[in-house]
Amino acid sequence: MGWFIVKRLTSLIPILLGISLITFILLHLIPGDPAVAYLRISHIPPTDEAVAALRVELGLNKPLYIQYLDWLGKVLQLDLGMSYVSKNAVWDEILLHLFPTIQLTCASLIFIVVISLPIGMISAIYKGKFVDQFSRIVAFVSVSMPSFWFGFLLIYLLSVKLDLFPVLGRGTLAHLVLPSLTLAFGYIGTYMRLLRASMLENLNEPFVMYAKARGLRQRLIVSRHVLKKSLLPVITGLGMSLGNMLGGAVIVETIFAWPGMGQLFVTSILNQDYPMIQGCVLFMSVIFVVCNLLVDIMYSFLDPRIRWEGEK
Amino acid sequence: MFLKKSNLFRSFVGLLVMFTIFVAGCSNTTKDQENASDKEKTKVVTFSWPGDIGDLNPHTYFPNEFFSQAMVYEPLVYYGEGGEIKPWLAESWDISKDGKEYVFHLRKDVQFSDGSPFNAEIVKKNFDTVLDNRKQHEWVELINQIKSTEVVDEYTFKLTLHNSYYPTLQELTYVRPLRFVGEAAFPDSQNTFKDGLKSPIGTGPWVLSEYKKNEFAVFERNEQYWGTKPKVDKVVVKVITDGESRVLAFEKKELDFIFGNGVISQDSFQFLKNSGKYETKLSEPTATRTLLFNTNNEATKDRKVRLALNHAFNKQAVIDNIFYGMEEKADTLFPPVLDYTKINVDPYEYDAAKAEQLLDEAGWKKVEGKPFREKDGKELQLEFLFNSTDNIQKSIAEFVQGDFRKLGIDIKLTSQESNTFWKTAFQGKYDLLFTSTWSVPFDPHSYLAAITTDSENGSPDYTALLGLPEKKEIDQKIKKVLLTTDEKERKMLYTDILMTLHEQAVYLPISYQSNVAVYHKNISGVDFLPQEVEVPLTSIDVK
Repeated sequence: MGWFIVKRLTSLIPILLGISLITFILLHLIPGDPAVAYLRISHIPPTDEAVAALRVELGLNKPLYIQYLDWLGKVLQLDLGMSYVSKNAVWDEILLHLFPTIQLTCASLIFIVVISLPIGMISAIYKGKFVDQFSRIVAFVSVSMPSFWFGFLLIYLLSVKLDLFPVLGRGTLAHLVLPSLTLAFGYIGTYMRLLRASMLENLNEPFVMYAKARGLRQRLIVSRHVLKKSLLPVITGLGMSLGNMLGGAVIVETIFAWPGMGQLFVTSILNQDYPMIQGCVLFMSVIFVVCNLLVDIMYSFLDPRIRWEGEK
Repeated sequence: MFLKKSNLFRSFVGLLVMFTIFVAGCSNTTKDQENASDKEKTKVVTFSWPGDIGDLNPHTYFPNEFFSQAMVYEPLVYYGEGGEIKPWLAESWDISKDGKEYVFHLRKDVQFSDGSPFNAEIVKKNFDTVLDNRKQHEWVELINQIKSTEVVDEYTFKLTLHNSYYPTLQELTYVRPLRFVGEAAFPDSQNTFKDGLKSPIGTGPWVLSEYKKNEFAVFERNEQYWGTKPKVDKVVVKVITDGESRVLAFEKKELDFIFGNGVISQDSFQFLKNSGKYETKLSEPTATRTLLFNTNNEATKDRKVRLALNHAFNKQAVIDNIFYGMEEKADTLFPPVLDYTKINVDPYEYDAAKAEQLLDEAGWKKVEGKPFREKDGKELQLEFLFNSTDNIQKSIAEFVQGDFRKLGIDIKLTSQESNTFWKTAFQGKYDLLFTSTWSVPFDPHSYLAAITTDSENGSPDYTALLGLPEKKEIDQKIKKVLLTTDEKERKMLYTDILMTLHEQAVYLPISYQSNVAVYHKNISGVDFLPQEVEVPLTSIDVK
């Protein structure tokens, strides 16, 4: 097991290096000069002298590979540079916006798990019955309804009309319910159907028949054997979704005035805040890779075959 | 493994129960009651702003917001009703005969919010730090005109100018950059522009008490304030980017009022007004929404084409259908209610036949079987640049595209995000640009002054007008009018400048925009202030 984790961790190094390189290059491919952007944001006329002086100050006059190495060296010390707009460290700004995002993501995950897994499971067991039909409709609505609309409907009904929750902003736990439900809603349909399909497949496996022959009760078979195996694809998916959600949900954040990563990223793009964009892209990519790694590790817990293969 | 040990059904049921409790516990009925009893003790008003309040530094710009700067910092003189200059931190002033020396007698009862004294010394210090960064404030002509600053005695401050510059007092009323921070606010380098403030210490009616970036800011009443104290104890400013969310939060009473320009859509305003549950108000016209022609490009270089487009634009239809009749039709670049802006001209009325005739005369003729007019084999295509984040601009642009098509003009719509939009606008890469004037106290003199300089903080009008043969002459007249001491001559020059701009048809004014206010019935004192960018927080009260 330990060996497996070590192996996966070492494979991270080239991936992360690749990400850093791509992030760095992408930003240098964007039309526009970071020095000019900096001056413009700071309200300083971008005269030729000012631009030239700033290019030296920001190190933009050095060869590209040296710029990259300089940048990489700083990134390794968690120094992502300084935002052109707020003049604060990029890392501090990211941390500031990361916590609300983590909050939102965790709450959404709870919603996804609590709503989609039981329904998915029940609709697999009662295939073709009312529950199954109903869950199919819910799934269609969930994947096709745009989140800005669903969000507004929720606010209108649960908040303005029924006065159950606050409309927007952060604060108490109650503030968390509507945005996380909105964010979760899009995923709920997917996972409901995913679990159902995967359970239906496994219910026909020989080990189920064998278990039945052993005289095990249906409930035990499903909960101990079928479900565990069927959760594999769901967990892979959730890992991906987790990465997505941690990257920020721009629309949900905008509707609910939630100061998360999505808002930070979008405003930094609008402001042409180069170090901030670079920092955000890098950070989100790392989060995504790490989430994938966690999924892989969890996978090997759930399915020993993967672990053994790795150890061979 | 955890799955083996527990019965999954049970754990799910458990989770579900916990979840229900969590949701039920979250419902905020109890919280509201607490808030209600809290409110009895302290009066709080809550409103929202589309962005963060910024770093509260009166000597800098973006990401600072005008309204928040104006809450904390004050000017020497205040821009009052109808442009009247009122004593503020200076209780009186003397102007030398040649108009080059201004002596301000400061109020003696003013303190900064940290208790430090407000005197001529600190006034000079603030002026000097702003002047150290002259280049950044070039758009304020006064900054260029200041020759020296001087402390005469503890409460007397003298400003010496290079020339007699008539809008001096008016420019001193601006929210930035000539307002005052306390001694303790200065950074070690003393350069407030480059290094920011240590903390926001001003003389204004409000003091920042709690702040969470991109979430909210709480201002408390400044108990030492020298002037009329605000009626409420606290103001909470929530950051809400989305207009529809703002409306819902307002309906839920999470916001006490909505105030500003473009903060909610025209549809929402109409909806709230028609519901009859709230009070709504519209301010007098503040600024003009206008299109600007690029006089350097082939088609729009021709005055006849510009005239034709002025006649081809159905302003009334736009006002009726997009603004629900809420905005007034604009015939001239500035609303006629401002100083020096009332001119007697024949407006370019909507007249499609005349527009077609003018286009024919300009050589852009209709071609059989083709949708668009042509001249020397070239189609009449105009690029219309607008700001994609502004919903109103988008609706108008689409309307224009459809309407002009009927006359054989192909409008190519280009929408860009704010930053890119301004960059493209300054570069002059468009035929038609959606822009607006700057509102009082900047209109008309600062707006016109910006036309004459190729300054970063100026306006795209400079480049756009370069193709006019009269450009030099107009510039000279604008420069002259700013330095005239004779009221009559000034009036004449302004009329002359505005008439020329009108005759040349370089602008296509659409409507005069207003501020909107929507508030609950228990709120009073939501009045519009003379400066469009200020929010009337001092007069607002909660019942």
